[in-house]
Amino acid sequence: MESTSRRLDQLPVGSRAELGSPALEPSRCRRLAELGLRPGAQVTVLSRTPGGGRVLAVEDARIALDRATLRRIPAEPVSR
Amino acid sequence: MSPLISPPQATVPQATVPSCHSAAAGPQAARGAPVVALVGAPNVGKSTLFNLLTKSGRDTGNWPGTTVEVGRGLWSLPDREVALLDLPGAYSLDPLSPDEEVTRTLLCPPDERDRPDLVAVVVDATALSRSLYLAAQVRECTGRVIGLVTMLDVARARGRRIDVEALGRATGMPFIEVDPRRARGQRSLAEAVTAALDGPPLLPRALCEPAAPQLVVLPDSAQDAPSEPTSGSEPMVDPAVSALELGDERFAWIDTAVASAVHRDRPVGRTGSDRADRILTAPVLGPLAFLATMWMVFQLTTTVAAPLQDLLDRLATGPVTSGALKLLSAVNLDGGLVEGFVVDGLVAGVGMLLTFLPLMAIMFLLLSALEDSGYMARAAVVTDRMMRAVGLPGRAFLPLIVGFGCNVPAVSGARVLPNARHRLLTALLVPFTSCSARLPVYVLLASTFFPGQAGTVVFAMYVISILFVLGAGLLLRSTLLRTMGSEPLILDLPPYHLPLPRAALRSTWTRLRGFLRTAGGVIVATVAVIWALQAIPAGTDDPVGQVPVENSAYAATARAVAPVFAPAGFGDWHTASALVTGFVAKEAVIASWSQTYAAEEPESMNEPGHLGEAVRADFEKASGNHTGPAVWAFMIFLLAYTPCVATLAAQKREIGWRWTGVGVGLQLGLAWTVAVLVFQVGRLFA
Repeated sequence: MESTSRRLDQLPVGSRAELGSPALEPSRCRRLAELGLRPGAQVTVLSRTPGGGRVLAVEDARIALDRATLRRIPAEPVSR
Repeated sequence: MSPLISPPQATVPQATVPSCHSAAAGPQAARGAPVVALVGAPNVGKSTLFNLLTKSGRDTGNWPGTTVEVGRGLWSLPDREVALLDLPGAYSLDPLSPDEEVTRTLLCPPDERDRPDLVAVVVDATALSRSLYLAAQVRECTGRVIGLVTMLDVARARGRRIDVEALGRATGMPFIEVDPRRARGQRSLAEAVTAALDGPPLLPRALCEPAAPQLVVLPDSAQDAPSEPTSGSEPMVDPAVSALELGDERFAWIDTAVASAVHRDRPVGRTGSDRADRILTAPVLGPLAFLATMWMVFQLTTTVAAPLQDLLDRLATGPVTSGALKLLSAVNLDGGLVEGFVVDGLVAGVGMLLTFLPLMAIMFLLLSALEDSGYMARAAVVTDRMMRAVGLPGRAFLPLIVGFGCNVPAVSGARVLPNARHRLLTALLVPFTSCSARLPVYVLLASTFFPGQAGTVVFAMYVISILFVLGAGLLLRSTLLRTMGSEPLILDLPPYHLPLPRAALRSTWTRLRGFLRTAGGVIVATVAVIWALQAIPAGTDDPVGQVPVENSAYAATARAVAPVFAPAGFGDWHTASALVTGFVAKEAVIASWSQTYAAEEPESMNEPGHLGEAVRADFEKASGNHTGPAVWAFMIFLLAYTPCVATLAAQKREIGWRWTGVGVGLQLGLAWTVAVLVFQVGRLFA
């Protein structure tokens, strides 16, 4: 992961971003993709959860991720 | 010190290849009845639909060689009967858990003849593209498939119109609208299933050769992923090259279908669920809301159940007992061994169990309502951090919360965790969750010794149970299970719904019936064994069947055990006998306890509160008048020691005898130590 790119855990609540390729083991990447969190998808950060996680909106689905997972997903902010 | 954990074993034994058509698939279905399998992601309403179609005739059982539960039932269509299977929830056919693996193996078995006659993919209208991924994969391995769209009402409320026919045209498979929660769409579903069973199969989706449809499996490099399918006949198609392309191809297929079927009346905005989640999953408010919810659940189970329990108790000790006596004297069996067995064994024991049915019903009803409302998934998010403190992912919260209902399914439910070590730790911790069978004992003791604060005392027992889970988790992680990987939290949050009474009642009835069926046999057997022990004299000349209870083999056993509990303030043989029975089944604790007193003074059992009085007298004597600390110590021991033999059987299946033995040692050791500490320290302050 390039040090210049932003990650999901760094985005404030309410922001919208386009996802990059997660630096996770393949089975986890696949599960994220199945849930709609695939490279190129746009997500909105909806709220914070205990322990530094976030609830994300991807289309109509809501996915909760923990902090460790968020840190491994590159995300470029996009204007709304 | 090197970690003691044994190397991960294959999670699915290799001996049995599951098949939809095997004898185990549906013993009650007529031979040759077509098999229809319901598949779908968790929370899409699959089980609700199953319960509706089979009229709750769920015959759940473990799949051969696994502990993954597959529901089976009969569904009567107008012109035929169908064996309906409720497969474990799966997001895709690339399994991350043993549940998903069972689903995969059943849908795409090595032998084509074992395939279900029809696969019904349940698709969530509010998460269409995600649900269609599974549909895409199923279409690749069978031509006998239909899609069922649920949650259209929720999608509509969010400004999404789904054109179900257009979806069918774009995907090349029939789609039907169903609303299992409101019991709508059954007729069109029956018609579609009949048509699909009678018509020609669809051509499998373009990926495969039509002549040899086969499942395309993505490569999996995950270290702890479930073992490969049980037979080598499932072909892997050029894994490394096609993995990404395949995924992309499926997503492109899905995107085309979604684009033609979904019309957005308004852009994606904040929904009511999102506003609720800003509170219910928030860092501080979320855990508080979770605690408040749990507190409410236990208040309701104690206050609402009490009058119903009283009613059933009066029924069992009054009309039922006198009816049984009349019946026995009519057939000349009164006054002997048979009367003793029927009245002191069956009626007193099973009757006592029945009086606690309202408690179970209310607990199951509330759990169903929490699941149906969508709150359970939020509870897993909120508790994720707490679970991590013991080295478990938030997902482990779900089997653990099931443990508060019953430990047996909870131990089996540990299978949702894809990591073998997490499964082991969860299976070892489940017995510390206070199952509903322990609740009646708390209620009895709390209302006898702490009247006025019974609800709070019972709630405290649940908090103590959570502390035991955390403490035992920390203990295990710092001793036997030092290397513990971490599982990321990736959790889909279904939209909140208002729970519908009909769906909740149906699910409650299914669980209650399952409980009665499994617990009933254990209880009757336990009561019979205990009655037999009571009928056999221990070193006295009393004739068999007319032994004063204090001279019986049962009392001798309990007396031998009782001194162990003296340091905890309850070294009385009646109390010890309740604990001996409790090792077999907690449901039988009160029954056997009251039996020991009934055998001494049979007439007084008709007096309400007699058991409470007798127990109070024994606690006062055994604790040297430090009754309060002794009762707390007893309740804590009861909470923490081995739940029942059925839980041990489930553990043996999951983690083997060796770890089950470690678990029993841990439960007895921790329970005794904490009970002694509570009594000895409490005695100083009382």
